[in-house]
Amino acid sequence: MSNHAAFILASYLAAFVILGGLVIASLSARNRVRRELDQRGLAPRGSAPRGVDRKR
Amino acid sequence: MADLHFLANPARFRRFSQRVLPGLGFATVLMLCACLYMAFFVAPADYQQGQTVRIMFLHVPSAWLSMMGYALLAGLGASLLVWRHPLAALMARAAAPVGASFAAVCLLTGSLWGRPMWGTYWVWDARLTSMLLLFFLYLGHIALSRAYDEPERGDRAAAILALIGVINLPIIKFSVDWWNTLHQPASVTRLDAPAIHNSILVPLLWMAVSLLFLFVFLVLLRTETEIDRRRLENAAAQEEGAPA
Amino acid sequence: MTPKRRRLWLLIGSLGTLAVAAALVLSALNDNLVFFYSPTQVAEKSPGPDRRFRLGGLVEAGSVQKEGQVVRFVVTDTHKTMAVVYRGMLPDLFREGQGVIAEGALGGDGVFVAREVLAKHDENYMPPEVAKALKEAGRWKEGK
Repeated sequence: MSNHAAFILASYLAAFVILGGLVIASLSARNRVRRELDQRGLAPRGSAPRGVDRKR
Repeated sequence: MADLHFLANPARFRRFSQRVLPGLGFATVLMLCACLYMAFFVAPADYQQGQTVRIMFLHVPSAWLSMMGYALLAGLGASLLVWRHPLAALMARAAAPVGASFAAVCLLTGSLWGRPMWGTYWVWDARLTSMLLLFFLYLGHIALSRAYDEPERGDRAAAILALIGVINLPIIKFSVDWWNTLHQPASVTRLDAPAIHNSILVPLLWMAVSLLFLFVFLVLLRTETEIDRRRLENAAAQEEGAPA
Repeated sequence: MTPKRRRLWLLIGSLGTLAVAAALVLSALNDNLVFFYSPTQVAEKSPGPDRRFRLGGLVEAGSVQKEGQVVRFVVTDTHKTMAVVYRGMLPDLFREGQGVIAEGALGGDGVFVAREVLAKHDENYMPPEVAKALKEAGRWKEGK
């Protein structure tokens, strides 16, 4: 890499942090909501019937 | 009738997204890895910009996606306001942070590209300013949709903002033609042939497709979460004995 | 008219009004949205010596002279030219024939004293070998 490697790597790092952070936040939000639905004994709408294919 | 709609559509959407998400996520990861390899090891350096042209592979697709995302918000806003489509509000809630993130990536990478090439991180020219406005419109949408106790009112207000803000999209696109700007005119989306050599254009388009996959993945995943969250809230309201 | 229809027309109407309003505002703002002036525009407007503005154009080939920290060059829009003096670091892309934008004001002698020089780059991207081949074939910047 030439002399501007710092700028190039910084921009890829910034994108990785922002988009990767959003992916992680989205996945953990989904898992949290699903867990709460589970605790209330509610199957998420549109999911398979209880017991089948619930948790992978 | 409206009630049936409300029950049927999110459920169908949920079944669809559950079927699609794992494969889509897997494909996105694979494609992004391939694109990173192309961006760093296959694509050549530019004749003037040298290695920094590699920033373009992030900058340009995120600009496209952030604009596409706002058009999506506007479309969802219209379908909420006019047809009261039940899924539209949930999907808009899900999509706004995704679009905002891509706008942030576009602004940050652009800034990191401008410093070595133009000699400045930022100028207030028409292109950069209108792009910053897009980012703030996204933030406004996110804030407005969460500003009310009743989520429906927030959804309505955010939809109106999305429809007003859509005027910014042609301004961003044509700012480089209408006014003198530091930012150069369009390279890919012009009427004649793109001004980018194939060896740089092909990785750029692949990266755009991969990031589009990521965008769709995130919007589907977050919409599914919003559907579940709305159901959770309704259940909680019923438990308290409030007549929902 | 059904309520759905009415809402749709209401929406179309308000969006149309908004678009017209935005177009009016933008055309009114047009003058202030200009990021830089070309040498021809500067010659027409002849701004006073203390008025700061941005000058944009191409660096004329063969005009760049460096004396230590001080750089002198000529900016052209292929119509009129303007001499520029600048003290400081130049951006990477600064070179003869390249687009630049200089911010500063006119000095008493008619020379533009720049406080900042930014390089504008064009919309063309290609590997160096292709650029070289194009230049050798005499097809450089055709259709411009």
